[in-house]
Order: sequence, then structure tokens, then C-alpha cells
Amino acid sequence: MNNRFIVKPELCTGCRSCELACSFTHAIDGVRALTRITPIDGGFKDLWVPVTCLQCDDAACIKSCLVNALKRNPVTGAVELNHEVCVNCMACVAACPFGCAVLDTQANLIVKCDLCGGDPACAHFCPTKALVWEPIEKSVKKTG
Amino acid sequence: MIHITINGKVVQAKDGEMLLTVIRREKIDVPTLCHHEAVEPSGACRLCMVEITKPEWDGWCDYVTSCLYPAADGLIVNTHAKKVNELRSSILDMYLARHPKSPEIRQLAAEYGVLKTQFEEVVDGDNCILCGICTRICDTMGFHAISMVGRGHGKEVAPPLNMAPTACVGCLSCAKNCPTNYIEYNMENGGLTIWKKDFEMVACTECGKTTITKEFAEYLSKNRDINIDYFRKCDECHRKELAGTMGRISNWDREARS
Repeated sequence: MNNRFIVKPELCTGCRSCELACSFTHAIDGVRALTRITPIDGGFKDLWVPVTCLQCDDAACIKSCLVNALKRNPVTGAVELNHEVCVNCMACVAACPFGCAVLDTQANLIVKCDLCGGDPACAHFCPTKALVWEPIEKSVKKTG
Repeated sequence: MIHITINGKVVQAKDGEMLLTVIRREKIDVPTLCHHEAVEPSGACRLCMVEITKPEWDGWCDYVTSCLYPAADGLIVNTHAKKVNELRSSILDMYLARHPKSPEIRQLAAEYGVLKTQFEEVVDGDNCILCGICTRICDTMGFHAISMVGRGHGKEVAPPLNMAPTACVGCLSCAKNCPTNYIEYNMENGGLTIWKKDFEMVACTECGKTTITKEFAEYLSKNRDINIDYFRKCDECHRKELAGTMGRISNWDREARS
């Protein structure tokens, strides 16, 4: 785990570029998938919060999976869902306390953020750098 | 690592890995009805048949179910040889005779050129192909609510004594993974009925959306150490709650700076 994904709601303008980047990156056979990240109104003026999987340390989704389809990727630190193994029981969708495992009704698959396997497309497309993917040392130095 | 040849292409595989896993990894389309990565292979549907041979076999070859055949070094596999396709279409021919009404079977058979069966059609049959994917998934998930009952013509998938199974939590994994969509369930008015058992769904306290049954939520919280409060809201309301919390923190930050 060399990099980390940082969300800065104060910089988000709610433009939804991340949604498009996510949808197209995870497309199956050219059909756009359901987005794994979505900016939601934070409840204050001009404040949007890009909501996506927090990749919890003690993840409820991993605990809830009865067929071990959800596993943590030791390289990126992301919780990844293996669609081949998933039986669509909806346990993770119901168990996630942040609602970040979602059922893609079009593809009939449960989807969640996997940090694009170590290079999140949303961070590349965010015009205001509200979403960044940077080395841990860099962000630690900045915040002091 | 060992090397096997699939349709003329040399590919790497782990020793003892099943052939179908290697074939699927190479993105070669081999039809299956009973295969699911979550459960052990059983070789019930017979559609994943492939032709295998080795240079030292003197032109002799064998036809095996690839889901149950371990990869071995030097194996030459042909997934769509003429004889394999003939085997598959004759298997599908029999499926079509047994389940003439199943749209999934009809479509797969049509792909292999079988539009009408040459055998006598079973008129009052059902669409269950007895592949056991439902019972195997139920066992793997740890519920053991349904199993194969009876033998020969009377074989069927059923809960114990054909009564509402006490072990079933209504996760719907059996119905959602059935290759012919045979397992029926009824979901309406915040309730669910499957295998003659009635369930109550957990309704979101904010919007009323239902995701899983109460029994399943209680099972997960008890056996998997998940806070029962996590199941109170639906995914959408959870996301809104998270945005609200993160928004409040960001707003403090913003006010402090201005």
C-alpha cells in the first residue's frame, strides 16, 4: 500500500466527471456500468461530497460474504468483489453501513469500488482535484 | 507452472487446476449450465466436454468434462472439435426433449443447431435440469435448506419433507443462480415467499426500500458479528447519511478557514 485515495469535499463542485469516468472504466462489453462513486449534496451551500467505498479495515461486507467473493487486495488495500464467485445474495449491500456496495440492476451484478486495481480513473478525471490518488508520504508531509 | 495447449495456443496453468478454469481464463466460450465459481464443480450438465490428447497417446483422444479434469503438463485440448460439438448438440437434444419449454435451453440448443429434438418431448415436465447448483450454493453458504430428493424419474430439488425449511433464511441465492430460472419466488408488499416459506423483509427506516429478509439480517448479525443497526437503512439512505456527516465536517473546516 504505497498510495492512498483522498476525498476532499470542500473542493468538489458536483460536476459528476467521476461518475462518468467510473461508469466507462467499468463498462462490460461496451455497456456502461453503474457508477461506484457519486457526489451527494452535503447539506450546506455549495458543498458536495463524493461518496465512495471507504475500504474499511474491519469491513462489514467481507464479514457478511458467505461465499468469500469479497477479498482485500494486499497491493492496493481495496476490497475487491469477484463477480465469478458472487451469488447475488445482497448480504454486502445490506450490511455496508455506508451503502457503498450497490446492485447494478442493468447488469444484474453487485458492484463496489475496487480503486480500479490501483489507478482510480475518477482521480484522473476530477477537474478540481477533490479526488486524489497520491503516495502516502506526500499527503502525510502536507498535513504535517 | 505447467503448460497446456488449448485450441493450438500454449497457455500456462497451475498443476491440478481444473481445465475449465484455464479455458475460461483464456476467454474461450465453453457452454456450461451447472458451473459456478463459488462451489465445487460437479460435472452434472456435461456441456463443458472437451477433447483431450497427448503426443504420446498415438492419436488416441479422450472426451472429458473440463470442469472436473485437472490440467496436466503437455495436455492438448480442443474445445470446439467436430466431435465435441456433436457431443454437445446431442446432449442439448436430450435437454430439449426433457425441458421443451425452457427458453434458456432452447436458446443454447439453437446455438448448437438443435432447433427441434429428435426424441419424444416430455409434455408435463418442468424446467429443472437437476444440475444441483442451488443445493450446492445453499450448502456452501452454510444453510443446507434444500437438497436433492428421490432417485431416477422422481428426483427433484426440495426442502426436507417438502415442508417450509426451517434452515432457509430467504437469501434467494438458489433462485438467482438457477441456470433455467426454475425456482419460483414471490416478492410483494414487503414480504417474500420461497420454498413455501414466508419471510418478512427489512424495510429501510427512512424510505421503506427492502433489500434482504429479517431472518437473513439476523443470521448475518449473529453468525458474522455485524451490528444489527447496519441493516436498518437501505444503501441509498446510508450514502446520504455518510454525505451528511462528511459535509458537516467539511463545513467546519471551511468556516474555520474563512
